[in-house]
Amino acid sequence: MNELQKRYPEDVAAILKKYPPEFRRSAIMPLLYLAQRQDGHVSGRSVTDIAELTGLSTTDVTSVVGFYTLFHAEAGGRYRIQVCTDLPCALRGADDFLALLQKELGISVGETTPDGMFTIEEVKCLAACHRAPMFQVQGDGDITYHEHQTVESAMQVLKGLRQQAQKSGKEAA
Amino acid sequence: MTMKMVTLRIDEHTVEVPAGTRVVDAAKKVGVDIPVFCYHPKLESVGMCRMCLVEIGRPVVDRASGKVVLEADGSPKIQMAPKLETACTTPVSDGMLVVTTSEKVAAARREVVEFILTSHPLDCPICDKGGECPLQNLTMAYGSGTSRFIFDEKMRSAKHVPLGELIYLDRERCIQCGRCVRFQHEVVDDPVLDFYQRGRALEIITRSEPGFDSVFSGNTTDICPVGALTTADFRFGARPWEMKPAASICAQCPVGCNIVYDVRREAKSSGKPVIKRVMPRQNESVNEVWICDKGRFVHHYNESAERLTQPLMRVDGELTPVSWQQALETAAAKLKEAGKGLVTLAGGRLSNEDLFNLRELTRAQGGTTLLHTHMGGGEWTRQLGLNQGSNLGSLGNGDAIVVIASDLHQEAPLWWLRVKQAAQRGATLIVLNARPTRLDAYAAHALRYQPGEAAQAVAGLMGNHKTPAAFQTAREALAGAANLVVFFGSDGLGLTGTRALAQTCADLLMQSGHYGRPNNGLVGVWQHSNDQGAWEMGYAPAADLVGSLKKAKVALLAAADPVGDEPALAKALAGADFVIVQEMFLTASAEKADLVLPVAAIPEREGSLTSGERRAQRFYPAVPAPDGVRPDYTIAAQLGQRLGLELEGRAAGLVFLRLAQSEPAFAGLSYQALSTAEEQWPIVGRRDLYFGGTTYDNNQGMGTHLQPVLKAGERPAAVAAALDTELMDAGDNLLVLPHTRLFDQGSLVRFSRLLVERVATAELRLNPATAKHFGLAEGVAASLNLNGADASVIVRMDDALPPGAAWLPRRVGVPLWAPAAAQVKVMERD
Ligand code: SF4
Ligand code: SF4
Ligand code: FES
Ligand code: FES
Repeated sequence: MNELQKRYPEDVAAILKKYPPEFRRSAIMPLLYLAQRQDGHVSGRSVTDIAELTGLSTTDVTSVVGFYTLFHAEAGGRYRIQVCTDLPCALRGADDFLALLQKELGISVGETTPDGMFTIEEVKCLAACHRAPMFQVQGDGDITYHEHQTVESAMQVLKGLRQQAQKSGKEAA
Repeated sequence: MTMKMVTLRIDEHTVEVPAGTRVVDAAKKVGVDIPVFCYHPKLESVGMCRMCLVEIGRPVVDRASGKVVLEADGSPKIQMAPKLETACTTPVSDGMLVVTTSEKVAAARREVVEFILTSHPLDCPICDKGGECPLQNLTMAYGSGTSRFIFDEKMRSAKHVPLGELIYLDRERCIQCGRCVRFQHEVVDDPVLDFYQRGRALEIITRSEPGFDSVFSGNTTDICPVGALTTADFRFGARPWEMKPAASICAQCPVGCNIVYDVRREAKSSGKPVIKRVMPRQNESVNEVWICDKGRFVHHYNESAERLTQPLMRVDGELTPVSWQQALETAAAKLKEAGKGLVTLAGGRLSNEDLFNLRELTRAQGGTTLLHTHMGGGEWTRQLGLNQGSNLGSLGNGDAIVVIASDLHQEAPLWWLRVKQAAQRGATLIVLNARPTRLDAYAAHALRYQPGEAAQAVAGLMGNHKTPAAFQTAREALAGAANLVVFFGSDGLGLTGTRALAQTCADLLMQSGHYGRPNNGLVGVWQHSNDQGAWEMGYAPAADLVGSLKKAKVALLAAADPVGDEPALAKALAGADFVIVQEMFLTASAEKADLVLPVAAIPEREGSLTSGERRAQRFYPAVPAPDGVRPDYTIAAQLGQRLGLELEGRAAGLVFLRLAQSEPAFAGLSYQALSTAEEQWPIVGRRDLYFGGTTYDNNQGMGTHLQPVLKAGERPAAVAAALDTELMDAGDNLLVLPHTRLFDQGSLVRFSRLLVERVATAELRLNPATAKHFGLAEGVAASLNLNGADASVIVRMDDALPPGAAWLPRRVGVPLWAPAAAQVKVMERD
């Protein structure tokens, strides 16, 4: 049993059960998602574990992590603010939106706020092109979409997230 | 099965090609170069770069009648597609019209080049690929000369990224064609390169340990269409146009890959040409367009300062330089004195010509010729080996391949690749070994036998020996095979075991009638490039080499180092009156010799080698030999002269003619025959826009199979399966089994310093249960006492290995050629 299996014995077993042995490599997506549930990123150790579970090379597993903006190889803030700047969104002002958001948060794309709360990322099409500007928030094991955004509405969303974080922090304490 | 043919028009040409051919290849057939970046004829087409866009029209078919609509003049009406199509992904179809010369196509090419260059540094003046770079060539041919993009927005990324110690990546230059990724995944199944990120941020990564862990890694530098991938060996070494190619044959294993030495004159070698790099030379029947990293990187030995360059004679106990004349006269006198007491021990890296002259010289004295090898069975590969018309590349559905007691991936990488591909084309692959190997993954039947029981396993395959049920299924699969090639090796076996194994394999082939015709027969996975040639000329290993050497009055060792190999052989040799050694280096045997004659290395001379597939192939001089060395065949001829023999020594080609007259297997062959070039498909080596890699075209000959030794319908003297075994039970001691690793500590590898990290070390691998039994744990240093020597090894646990024995590589400083019983002690650690 590798580390990932030890940490999530049932989840791993349930994922692997879905795929016949010759299609084990298909389990890579749910396994990666599982692997970053706790820390918000896929550790090198998890990459090795998933390679072992799926029969892929560590290089190929890493490649999947790199391809999808859903997965993260590095640690980031508690919430990842993923702004789509692909062509249709850009036509609806996503670039300006992103620039203002960076200014408002005082960080650039790829950086994390000093309180460790937010990381801004620029991503490819999230399939909500007609409701741009838009972003998705990844964090606390969850993904939420926020469409038709302005910087003001976005800051409201972030404020909500801060409160949510504080609340869950208190609950935990 | 006849292939369905399709006729189409490409510009002004009409061409007929098999259905399924891609437009790009059909065009190449009629000399139309459609430029490509991502397409490679040996890889799946992916249509990633868009460079190959062409206009395609197809005949209009009337829906109601299903008939082709005709123009007024009776020709079929052609409907051009509204958009350009990629010639690399589009298969040909009947009546198709392909236009590659229109302004629309030219504009597309111009724009694709412009687009690719938006994230390319264009640092051609300092780029290794400059001069043989498709991006450079296509930019010159089709680029617009200016760009509409902003220069400052060019990608900037890392320029010297070591993917491992052998291959460097320049991330800026990569044009994301994915050839390297596909080669590693599809061709050699080492998925250790892949893409990371996407769009303009996309980059090539490796996460293997060690980096870029593949014995075929160098090939990616050939097929990379830009200077993104370079070898640590060659990068910044020379410009392509400064080098001259010299055709040669790789002498690192019995495959005999066709290669080119690229040489250049250099000041540091006083204006003499030196080898700058080794490149594959296309031979679709041998190595296609690939070589392994051993063949590519093990070439530094010939320029080593350790080379012997003058004859040495023992004077007052010291090896002292003497003239060739004195050396030859002394040697000749000793050979004469020895008469029947002459024992010539030859190594399989000698050429056919060397072996022939040495044999003639020895026979004339009444002496004995021996082959220095740990493997037997050549008497069978000689009779049942492959013949003219054989090509592993043509094996597929309906055929079968058996690989027994060999880790082909390590012993003969290109055979591994070709056998794997045959299996992927549908050939039934049966792999038998005492331990798992990398070929198992492609085998229809991967069968195990008890260590040492390889011959029994083959007998089991024939139903003559009690074996598990799985053997029965494999036997049935073999029964109906149209063609059958059997490879046998020496994994876990020594001389006795391999000899028995070869004989049993011969029995199998004769029983089923799989011999005496193309693509059928027995192949020995020998240690050296020309072991097969030696067997053809009647050389064979001594059953008891210690005994044979003990009896020698004079021993002539050519390309053989028994003293370095085993203490017992060193002792045996000490009794000889006089020992003559022909060598490139001062080996352990040379150090003990009475006379040492320095010889020329393969790139310094002419000659020919016989591959394990019985293909005789020529190599040509690439660099001048250092002053003072001579080819082995010349030395033998000069010795012969002094003994009144008429041996040919003037040119290798003339020696070969004598060989052809004397040995039926070589009858009718000549250097002319060996150097006949045949057209190869796919066309890849040329400096044109349909880029198949920096592989060289083969203009210097594909080589020729030796003649069948058996006459048509003749069977070799009846054999029975031989089930003699070697040591299989070491009692209270540990049974240690030898196996061969690609990069061992063999005398030539060590000069390629680049390979140091990949060289096998004395690691003893064994099943944890066995380890526990002997009190061994992972990583501990242990001392082995075997074959009369003490050696220290590092213990490695390996669950995959069967219990009851341990595996240790050959040529890692421990004298191990056959299974041996070892006393093991854990070493005290201080
Ligand atoms: S490194 Fe070379 S072969 Fe690999 S993707 Fe880049 S350009 Fe293509
Ligand atoms: S496979 Fe053998 S012959 Fe070919 S390049 Fe490698 S070592 Fe040389
Ligand atoms: S382009 Fe932004 S969601 Fe589709
Ligand atoms: S798309 Fe055809 S060669 Fe790249």
